Amino acid sequence: MIRRIALWAAALVLPLVLLAAAAGGFLLLQQGGLAPYRVPVADATTPPAGDASEGAYLARIGNCLTCHTVRGGAPFAGGRPFRTAYGTIYSTNLTSDPQTGLGDWSAAEFRHAMRNGVSRHGVLYPAFPYANFAHLTDTDIDALFAYLRGLPPVQAPAPANDLVWPANWRPALVGWRMLHYRPTPLAAPADASPAWLRGRYLVDGLGHCAMCHGTRGPRGSLPADGYLAGGRIPGQGWYAPPLDSRQLARYSVDQLADYLRNGASEHGAAYGSMAEVVYTSLRHLRPTDAQAMATYLKNVPPHGGDEAPDASRFLYAGAQPTSNPHNGGRLYQDHCASCHGDTGEGRGRDYPPLRGAVSVTAPDPINAVRMVLYGGMPPTTEGNPRPHSMPPYAGRLDNAEIAAIVTHIRSNWGEQSRPVSPADVAAYYGIRGD
Amino acid sequence: MTAPCSAPLPRRRLRPMALRLTLASAAVCASAAAQPPADLRERLAACAACHGERGEGVDGSIYYPHLAGKPAGYLVEQLQAFRDGRRHYWQMVWLAQYMDDAYIAEIAAYYAAQPPHTRAADVTAAPLPPAVQGRAEHLVRHGDAQAGIPACTACHGAALTGLEPAVPALVGLPQDYIVSQIGSWRDGTRRSKAPDCMAGIAAKLAPADIRILAQWLSHQSPGAHDRPAPAGSFVPPLACGDLPHAEVQP
Repeated sequence: MIRRIALWAAALVLPLVLLAAAAGGFLLLQQGGLAPYRVPVADATTPPAGDASEGAYLARIGNCLTCHTVRGGAPFAGGRPFRTAYGTIYSTNLTSDPQTGLGDWSAAEFRHAMRNGVSRHGVLYPAFPYANFAHLTDTDIDALFAYLRGLPPVQAPAPANDLVWPANWRPALVGWRMLHYRPTPLAAPADASPAWLRGRYLVDGLGHCAMCHGTRGPRGSLPADGYLAGGRIPGQGWYAPPLDSRQLARYSVDQLADYLRNGASEHGAAYGSMAEVVYTSLRHLRPTDAQAMATYLKNVPPHGGDEAPDASRFLYAGAQPTSNPHNGGRLYQDHCASCHGDTGEGRGRDYPPLRGAVSVTAPDPINAVRMVLYGGMPPTTEGNPRPHSMPPYAGRLDNAEIAAIVTHIRSNWGEQSRPVSPADVAAYYGIRGD
Repeated sequence: MTAPCSAPLPRRRLRPMALRLTLASAAVCASAAAQPPADLRERLAACAACHGERGEGVDGSIYYPHLAGKPAGYLVEQLQAFRDGRRHYWQMVWLAQYMDDAYIAEIAAYYAAQPPHTRAADVTAAPLPPAVQGRAEHLVRHGDAQAGIPACTACHGAALTGLEPAVPALVGLPQDYIVSQIGSWRDGTRRSKAPDCMAGIAAKLAPADIRILAQWLSHQSPGAHDRPAPAGSFVPPLACGDLPHAEVQP
């Protein structure tokens, strides 16, 4: 009797187990098989062979500094917190300290971690953009390694991450990779120009633009169909616009290259997270590299074809507005028009036009609300060494007035019919420091 | 430095005549190469919202300090502190965080060149009860030797108008601002370059003394022409940042 039950059970369960194993094996293959988990063991005493001065430039363009430095801390010594939906994780120490940095890493291990997101510490969190860095050439990775190994050692252990289960258990990241990580080498179209290829290499590789400008999928993933399609930046409180030929239509290639290096243009100035990227990274771009990035970005096919972006993806905090936005036009005249113009036309590079600006046309109103609340100062750059600033209105205008102004500019110059409510403004109050 | 360096600038576009006048007045008071160009006031609209168009402070503010006439070295250090994580008032960090040293120096020179005319004594602060008036004045003028607290005037000048190049005035400041700064030094959220003399003093001040000091100071206003004492006109007794100071006996 017992034997018959066992046989039946085996007959039922075994196919399920086999099926699960097959599915697991398939998903494991999809994310690169087992090879990513074999971290090479090599001699770390061999001096790095790469070109450290080129590595310094590449580290700038890859913006390693921004994530791997805490405000006021030693450069590249890590410790900056990143707030995610799963808790806070801290960046690690890239200096040449043997205990807490990269001092006893080999070039082979560094290459492996950059390409596969796995190191001696286990599987790395996808806040580290290894999906992008996988595209880098050996020469560039070795140059970066030579530069980082030449940094003065700073003893700085990374603070312990504060994550919820299962994200706090590194092996769970294998499961995340099986579901969401699809390493895809960059194809080389026969008709691609050198500038386009170099641009794509910088945008998709070192520049890891998609980390902010990609549309996030489930569990913080970056699915292929959201490539540079725009969205709310995790943990940052800013909306990053899509990067494609339609979104960037108002820029010429030259203007876009100039914007990348100087953080200012006749179409708008860098603010929020982009101001930081320009200040710590892009202002150091070689002009030819800026041209290449602009060339590539201007040729990314428009997302969703000719359809307007789907606003339903972006949550408004408030339900429906309780205030009548009828006074938005008057408030705009009183507080905004002297700089941004009666019809939102702006004034050259000093005062950004609102007509067609990302903050006004985006389905997500958070940028417009936060700029009005807290004002802004574009980054100082070679081409814009003395930026004009925007005053903060928090404390000078109430939430209903700010909501009315934002609704006014977005409906008049951004074709955004959905009003912004005082509750939306209240939800975006508060500067979160790091 | 000559006083009248603050010819009001046209708000919008500069007409050629106005430009020439502005340049002329700039030439009159150009005591240093750092004389700010005429358009800086327009560029700093964000600062004016809380500090006033020439850094003179805003009437009715119970918190924001004035900037006008403070030593440029002090203003540079503060902007760098917001940028580099030694001060954490987030609205300031927000605006200063992507600013390079050249623009910081220019902004500091602009406010330092303004006449240190601030709003009148802080009318929002209650008058000091006579019982503690003496204690406050004694702390300001003589310190508290037993507690190891030097007189405010020893570093900030007999008139409390500061000392070039980097010691700020203590007059014309709101009470809440002073209390907040001393509190921030005590809990480490405001730091100065080492040696951080004010952190040491703040740690020794009794909470009750902080309150009466702030209340007393907030009732003092500088005169229209009270500039910081010239550099080297006296030597502070404490080592502060990289400023000159007298040798201190251990």
